Amino acid sequence: MLVIKDLHASVDGTEIIKGISLTVNKGEVHAIMGPNGSGKSTLAKIISGHPQYEATAGEVTFEGKNLLEMDPEDRALAGIFMGFQYPVEIPGVNNAEFLRMAYNARLIRDGKEELDPLDFDELLDEKMETLGMEKKYKERNLNEGFSGGEKKKNEILQMSILEPKLAILDETDSGLDIDALKVVANGVNKLRNEDNALILITHYQRLLDYIKPDKVHVISQGKIVKSGEKDLALELEAQGYDWLTPTS
Amino acid sequence: MAGATADKLNQAESNILEKHREYLAEAKPKEDLLALNQAALARFETLGFPHRKHEMYTVVNTTEMVSTDFALTREGPVEAQAVQSHIYSGCEKSCLVLVDGKLSSTLSDTSAFGDSLKVSSLVDALSDASLKQYILETIENENDVFACINSSFFNSGVFLDVEDKTVLETPLQILHFSTGSKEAPVTTHPRVLIRVGAHAEMKLIIKYAGQSGNYFVNSVQDILLGENASMTYTQVQNDHADAWHYSKTRAELKRDSRFRATNASSGCKLARHHYDLFIKEPGAELELNGISVLDDEEQVHNFIRIHHEAPHCNSSQKFKNVVSGNSRSSIDGTVIVNQGAQLTNSDQLINNLMLSDGAHSDNKPNLMIFADDVKCTHGTTVGQIEEEQLFYLKTRGLTAEVAKALLTKSFAESIIQLIQFPAVVKELGNTLLRKLEA
Repeated sequence: MLVIKDLHASVDGTEIIKGISLTVNKGEVHAIMGPNGSGKSTLAKIISGHPQYEATAGEVTFEGKNLLEMDPEDRALAGIFMGFQYPVEIPGVNNAEFLRMAYNARLIRDGKEELDPLDFDELLDEKMETLGMEKKYKERNLNEGFSGGEKKKNEILQMSILEPKLAILDETDSGLDIDALKVVANGVNKLRNEDNALILITHYQRLLDYIKPDKVHVISQGKIVKSGEKDLALELEAQGYDWLTPTS
Repeated sequence: MAGATADKLNQAESNILEKHREYLAEAKPKEDLLALNQAALARFETLGFPHRKHEMYTVVNTTEMVSTDFALTREGPVEAQAVQSHIYSGCEKSCLVLVDGKLSSTLSDTSAFGDSLKVSSLVDALSDASLKQYILETIENENDVFACINSSFFNSGVFLDVEDKTVLETPLQILHFSTGSKEAPVTTHPRVLIRVGAHAEMKLIIKYAGQSGNYFVNSVQDILLGENASMTYTQVQNDHADAWHYSKTRAELKRDSRFRATNASSGCKLARHHYDLFIKEPGAELELNGISVLDDEEQVHNFIRIHHEAPHCNSSQKFKNVVSGNSRSSIDGTVIVNQGAQLTNSDQLINNLMLSDGAHSDNKPNLMIFADDVKCTHGTTVGQIEEEQLFYLKTRGLTAEVAKALLTKSFAESIIQLIQFPAVVKELGNTLLRKLEA
């Protein structure tokens, strides 16, 4: 589904990712772990197409298509979803209205009829109930004045509405108390099926108690320094990252 | 160049004097009105047309406009249907239509108010000595030369009287409709004076619209709010693109009264709103909000003076401008807290969203404080669409165009939502916000 080959990437002229290769297949959950500043978030931004992040070498394909040549919105419409580490506040844009626009964007692209507000509201209510989210999220403006946990829950709500083929959650678990973490994990587990895939970028092993990954990768200084099964995460928890960090 | 401009202004001033002689000969104003017209013309001669360094016009170039040879007001043919399309739903039986400054009895309908709203000719109302004295004083103290021109030429106008303790539930719409002219530019001088009695309440929507462009609508509104009176005052500037628009709103607030004003402007060749608002007695509250959405060569300028003359009063201002193309906006707003106006609370915030390199916005939030126990804030921001917001929306599948439109709309929407009349909000969604979809 997603194939990354020898990717190098930089931001403002500084190389952050120095040769990463990774293959994510349908039905798989990959966890990417690593210390702060190792390049985890840069990888997420390259996949989602942030304009400030530049792939300088290597290739990234999604279902055979060259992802690096696609605009962020086309990547989204192709089925890629990124859960932001720091979701952006957009005052004046109603959350429910925004969710409907995002949901309809794909229908419009496919030349299908848009879902009207009433029908969408039903869908939204259903999704919110499954996630255990309060109705207040509908009335509020997009992320405006949300707490950290509320913002992350709102990302998961968006993900469950958009039902992406590939979701990349960039430190969605950071800064969450246990109840919010359960909402996030619950959302992810509900979405998981044989046809989609998930990349969890995380700093903490705790999330992996709730979402069982198929593969765990450790990134350090812009490279994948170790890949393994889910036990690797436990090793990391016990020993920290130091033993994996290449000494220069 | 300076000499050429001075010549132009001298010529323009002579034109006004010449036009005024024509006006007096044709309209033959009666004694009460004549005294006001002449006092105003004398004031006009003292003030003169503004040069570029005039304090009020540093960012508004009026030279071209004042050099235009506007013909005197005359009533053009008007299509009833064109007028009716500008009447808001809910105001069909509560509307006053002024065509080229003159009240049209056939197009107006105030039956919704029964006897609770008294509508009369402003000229007839001059028989009330206190009203005449009030207008005379405003003329003698007038600092705005265009309002002065209105006072020199007005010979009709409307006086609205809401008696003490009368609460008008239904909003009143005043439509200033300019027929314009295909041949030569014309000017109109609509004038409205409103007295809201003690404990009385009124909701007013003033809309400006035009039929064929090529006109200069130069309106003056005077509002007198009695003790504990309340007025919601919404102005919608939706003139023909090929028009000049000046409006002056003067309001006096008595004890515990409330004045809540919003202005929504879509711009034209040159639109300028002048607010001169006087908080006269303790406990009064004033709110003034504005939104302009401009494109191409459109201009909207706001000149605001809020005078706090009594203690324990609040004023707040929120203005937003969205400028693209080669459009221009400006806000020159000063809050003057006079000696003795202790415990004043005053806020002023201006936000600008710049959508093109050719767009221009001048902002001057200003405070003059002569009291020592007050809380006042003022500020302005200028920005473009935030890249991070844009990226966020794109990652959810919205195209760049849709995302940009959503962000600019949401910026403007926050002011539009402050308007209490659903029909106006809906219309602005279709006019002002539609401009952001291009």
